[in-house]
Amino acid sequence: MPKLYTFLKYFCVILWSCFVIAPFLWAISTSFKDFNSVTGGATYIPWLQFEPTLDGWSVLFKPGSQGGINIIGPYFNSIFVTFTASFISIALGTLAAYALSRYTFKAGFVQNNDITFFFISQRIMPPVVLSIPFFIFLSTIGLLDSLAGLILVYIVLLMPIAVWIMVDFFNRVPKEIDETALIDGCNPFQAFFKVVLPNSIPGMIVAGLFCIIFGWIDFFFAFILTFTNVQLLPVKIVALNSSITPWWSLSAAALVSVAPLIIVAFIVERFLSKGNLTGALK
Amino acid sequence: MSLNLGNIIFKPTDQYHLNDISLNFEPGKMYTILGRTLSGKTTLLKTIAGLQTPDSGNIQFEGKDFLAIPVWERNVAMVYQQFINYPHLNVKQNIEFPLKQRKMEENLIEKEVSDAIQKVGLKGFESRKIQELSGGQQQRVALARSLAKKAKILLLDEPLVNLDYKLREGLREEFKKLFTGSESSQSIFIYASTDPLEAMQLNGDIIVIDEGKILQTGSSKEVFENPANAKVAEITNDPAMNLNIGRIENNKLILNNNIQFNLPSSLQTMSSDNYLVGIRATDLHLDNNGFDFKVDISEISGSETFLHLHNQDIKCVATIEEVKSYEVDENVKINFDLSKIYLFKESGELLYSPYQK
Amino acid sequence: MNFKHKFVFLLPGLIVLIGILIFPIIFTVRLSLSGWNSYNPGLDFVGIKNYIRLFTDDPRFWESFFRLSFLAITTVFLQYIIGFFLAHVVWKDIKFKRFFRVLFLIPMMTTPVIMTVIWRTFFHESLGPLNDFLSIFGVQPQWLSSPGLAKISIIVVEVWQWTSFMFLLLLAGLLSLPKEPFLAASIDGASPFKKFMYVTFPLMAPISIGAIIIRLIEASKIMDTVFVLTSGGPGTATETSSFYIFIKGLREFQMGYAATMSFTYLIIMIISLTIIAKVLTKVLMKE
Repeated sequence: MPKLYTFLKYFCVILWSCFVIAPFLWAISTSFKDFNSVTGGATYIPWLQFEPTLDGWSVLFKPGSQGGINIIGPYFNSIFVTFTASFISIALGTLAAYALSRYTFKAGFVQNNDITFFFISQRIMPPVVLSIPFFIFLSTIGLLDSLAGLILVYIVLLMPIAVWIMVDFFNRVPKEIDETALIDGCNPFQAFFKVVLPNSIPGMIVAGLFCIIFGWIDFFFAFILTFTNVQLLPVKIVALNSSITPWWSLSAAALVSVAPLIIVAFIVERFLSKGNLTGALK
Repeated sequence: MSLNLGNIIFKPTDQYHLNDISLNFEPGKMYTILGRTLSGKTTLLKTIAGLQTPDSGNIQFEGKDFLAIPVWERNVAMVYQQFINYPHLNVKQNIEFPLKQRKMEENLIEKEVSDAIQKVGLKGFESRKIQELSGGQQQRVALARSLAKKAKILLLDEPLVNLDYKLREGLREEFKKLFTGSESSQSIFIYASTDPLEAMQLNGDIIVIDEGKILQTGSSKEVFENPANAKVAEITNDPAMNLNIGRIENNKLILNNNIQFNLPSSLQTMSSDNYLVGIRATDLHLDNNGFDFKVDISEISGSETFLHLHNQDIKCVATIEEVKSYEVDENVKINFDLSKIYLFKESGELLYSPYQK
Repeated sequence: MNFKHKFVFLLPGLIVLIGILIFPIIFTVRLSLSGWNSYNPGLDFVGIKNYIRLFTDDPRFWESFFRLSFLAITTVFLQYIIGFFLAHVVWKDIKFKRFFRVLFLIPMMTTPVIMTVIWRTFFHESLGPLNDFLSIFGVQPQWLSSPGLAKISIIVVEVWQWTSFMFLLLLAGLLSLPKEPFLAASIDGASPFKKFMYVTFPLMAPISIGAIIIRLIEASKIMDTVFVLTSGGPGTATETSSFYIFIKGLREFQMGYAATMSFTYLIIMIISLTIIAKVLTKVLMKE
């Protein structure tokens, strides 16, 4: 009986692993194909089943004038928008989370929990609901199709995540540490920056990772709110999907765009195994 | 130079956390706030420190309005029950933190810090990380940080409660030495505790607090011998003083129809009435001529055994000076040391104490 | 602690968030009372005409909403079952534990639209590997162009993408559980199955509720997958609320009506998520 259980366990884990890996293997294989090997039906193993070429990859780095796709510009746009918005969200979100964790707020029936809920509830808004008024809002203030406009929108997307993770983190840091800092002659700002902040790095890293993930994988806002000036990676890649699909460069571009975040998976796992994530995620 | 609290009230919910507290603290003395968990000890300390603002009342220190001064300018020190230090700093950095915050001169800081480290016996640990220290060592760091500051008010919130027995005994002795040392005579020490024995050992003035209200203040001898009321008698004894309703009638002290004593001469003056009869667990003895009791629980604590007993509706705890386990419902014979009996009014006030002047 | 400084901590974030959101929210409400469309772009006032149309004359919106509910609940349910199983397996000692943990985390780190583009080629009826494999059995399902299978395709992609998030939340929860109850159960000689039913699962109830709610919130926004994989098709077979609002608002430019739907949708979502949270708490916490 235990043997059967162990067998089933491993069987399921391996089955799921195959499912997780399948699209990646398929994309890797496809990225080395050309028109003939794609339209000739599904093939998997290079040299054996098809003649591999690097066309799919080289086209990514050529400028548009030479028939290339040039994903380098969108790549840096994506990095810039994601990191800036994450940084602002973490900075403001951490401060707000600290206030909500340590101090009592009361205005009529509104209390700390309600304010925390207000922050976090912004995640309920579907992108499409926000994108219509944002479209008009950003065009009124002249930020449509600009990095600054996107960053503004991404802050709404990411600050709830930062607040959610950091409130929970601060709730687990004994408030006596802050109190001791106050008693030792720090005003509340000094107590926060000299004592609380240096001890909150793990929480902020976790919050940062999640902001980066959810910023990096967004598509819809970038799709609606930018056109030609500013293009983010997902929009660029999805645009490839519309015409006669060049599956090879599509796959290569997809792999390039997905790769950096796979490093994040390793970091998250490290935090998880060291037990640092549990303090930061309920 | 004294610290005065006047009519401090703190009522964050519909319950009082501090209920009309007025106290006077003199420098160079040690005060023990004795009360159960959640009786308001920590709240009182935090109010003195300035971490909490009372709803009403006033605090004067050295003739100044203390409430107008924010916590970070009050120059108090506080040691918590949890071992609270700055985890990102090492031992030395922890201790010099408040001095640096005060922008003290570098060489003065060096001196104060090494003095404090010397005093708490952490020499050689200066560059250790806090996480690498044992609980007792961590608490010594917290203590050293408080000492180095030379704060005029030192607040200690059950600093020993989370340590094991042996360390607790050792550190308590050190505390006493540190606080009664000559150079400390300018400071006010306020020590919060739930443990009556600890309060007695520290041998300072005792302030008994319950449900946010001060029940009694006085020397430890005074509070021990003449508890102001039944509540104080419970709080200041561990196990709590046994209290049962009894009556004096026909020259007899009657607890129930089994347990009756001839009235000792010291109690002859008491009128025939109902009383709350108090006797300490240590004044109950095993005695073959005693009354029959049934054992509810027996717990062994160190070299003693606490017996929880009952006889009909009379419940009491007896301290037996030996280690022995008893069965539940086992019969034991117990006698009362009548010369140690206290009488309280049914409402609680002390009427008679064996130590009465 | 209560110092005036607290406002300096809270307000920057609060003001920035409200500052960015206040206009869109007020504007949406106002827009929903206007007849703004491509012929007549402007904030005229038509009263609750749009709302009347939505509640009496637009079954497509309600169908898309029920389709969304079906997709969200099905995918989250599957994610929860699979995620819990995977988290439970790699929680304790298993060979290559850390390798599997990383592997199971990867899908949530990948951009949904981009992976869906890959999945689209994967499901391709004549050139994709899935039908290549199924041809062994002599079947060639129309994954993306038959109404039933298109829904299944979307569920597969959503489960692939987001089970890893559920897995992460549940594994973090499992790793934070106290050890004592398990020790006690072992001493009592409980079987692994009983240990799971009477110790692990009840202890995980609050974490499960949190994870399910978070995932339901995110799943209710299903949009990227639908957009790339099926564009709501065939017909309206995979059209969700978001996608329908998108078509009305940003394809047909019936901005006023789209705002009406947005606002109504938000109200329904807030109410139903509150109810779901209450019901889940009741059901799971009872044990």
